[in-house]
Amino acid sequence: METFYDVLRRQGITRRSFVKFCSLTATSLGLGSAFAPRIAHALETKPRTPVLWLHGLECTCCSESFIRSAHPLAKDVVLSMLSLDYDDTLMAAAGHQAHAILEEITAKHKGEYILAVEGNPPLAEDGMFCISGGKPFIDKLKWVAKDAKAVIAWGSCASWGCVQAAKPNPTQATPIHKVITDKPIVKVPGCPPIAEVMTAVVTYMLTFDRIPELDRQGRPKMFYGQRIHDKCYRRPHFDAGQFVEAWDDEGARKGYCLYKVGCKGPTSYSPCSTMRWNEGVSFPIASGHGCIGCSEDGFWDKGSFYDRVTQINAFGVEGNADRIGGAVAAVTGTAIAAHAGLTALKRARLDHGTGFDRNGEETGQRRDPQGGRRPAETAAVDQNTGRGA
Amino acid sequence: MNAVESRPADELALEALFQGVHATRMRDLPLNNPQLRVEALGFRDWQGARVGALVTPWSVLLTILPGPGGADGGGVRRLSVGCTQVWRFPSGEYEFHGHEAEGLGHYQQCSLFSPALEFESHEAARIAALAALDALLAVPPPPEPRKVSRRGLLLGG
Repeated sequence: METFYDVLRRQGITRRSFVKFCSLTATSLGLGSAFAPRIAHALETKPRTPVLWLHGLECTCCSESFIRSAHPLAKDVVLSMLSLDYDDTLMAAAGHQAHAILEEITAKHKGEYILAVEGNPPLAEDGMFCISGGKPFIDKLKWVAKDAKAVIAWGSCASWGCVQAAKPNPTQATPIHKVITDKPIVKVPGCPPIAEVMTAVVTYMLTFDRIPELDRQGRPKMFYGQRIHDKCYRRPHFDAGQFVEAWDDEGARKGYCLYKVGCKGPTSYSPCSTMRWNEGVSFPIASGHGCIGCSEDGFWDKGSFYDRVTQINAFGVEGNADRIGGAVAAVTGTAIAAHAGLTALKRARLDHGTGFDRNGEETGQRRDPQGGRRPAETAAVDQNTGRGA
Repeated sequence: MNAVESRPADELALEALFQGVHATRMRDLPLNNPQLRVEALGFRDWQGARVGALVTPWSVLLTILPGPGGADGGGVRRLSVGCTQVWRFPSGEYEFHGHEAEGLGHYQQCSLFSPALEFESHEAARIAALAALDALLAVPPPPEPRKVSRRGLLLGG
């Protein structure tokens, strides 16, 4: 029996680096450092779960994001875990040799491997718009998915369809949950998703041998539970009615809210405003451009990136991704109104980074690993954290 | 009118500021809930700071204003936008965003709802805001011991 730890050691990763990786992963999962030994123990003792990574109609931006995970160590470790199996973009093998690996894993590890899908299958003309290994991608996808334990849908392509499914969708590009209907699918949307989110999701599944808690749309709650708007550092300007009215106006220079120039922050569920990009350096709004809502279903068909959001159908409850598409209970009665207030307060509370309550149940929340740090004003914030004892 | 006059001055000042915002910059915001109006409510002293809630047609927010002990009253730091202060209240820790406005000075806010479209009446938003505010400052009851069935104990259910 080969464990992840064996593999990592064989790849030349030191014990010290391994332990460091475990604490980093615990942090990015919002689990707190106390969970690092649990992760280490799991990786040392559990047999390695093979991961197969397929590519359909996509642009490889998910892979690009993934292999640039902020911490080089996280990247090395996770890639060591994954690249052993099948990823037609990253693997050394090619042609028949590559195909043989796919056949071997699906046969030898039937029902044990995790399938990660980047991109989606086009269904028009019997799938002829995406050929992989001489066959339509849809056939390969269905074949590999048949005996997978769980499926990860990387990015907006696999999750929703993305640009290739935009109207009129001539190739009939279809998100994978519409063709794989008998397996749990973890959607990790974004174009691309944040590298740390990707590594954390895959490490969570490999370490704890289960899928993270998902919202009604199938996204991990720990990363997709809140909107960009909820945690945006420009939020005080929104509440005070201070908007950028036109590009490069006075408001733009002062860093005002970008809602009026099309920011989709109020309708987009993604941890960009808390985790940020490129090692937590920045995210679109911090660079002066509104969010384009790339993590949302059908974002290409929702009008211009510069049109302001005027409809928030059923997007009423802040941070509650579960309610989208469902009925948002009208807050009318006293008891219901009071309950809504208490729920909102609980959502606003910082949960000390465990992500788990006292009973060891997941709370579906994770602590902002940046701790509210804003790069431009780090010094100011550091003085401003913590009050009382 | 007596009821209005007995309200604290800082609460009225905050309300007036945001009424001005509503009347001018936020007047035609498509995200506004037309049933709601601007109201500051429930302001009380908390360790030298002033803690209350603010209902607006676009957001419902917990708000902290400096107490009477000078500009930094109660440890309410003057923060530029983008900076936050973590406050420890009896119910837990919360992150507040800082901002300031002419006429009011600096203040800090923590969002409860935004947009606030699910409220069918202003009264409902008031109740929600006050319930959150009371719970913020209340010590939460200890969690009930978890009931584990025999099957659950063995199978981790």
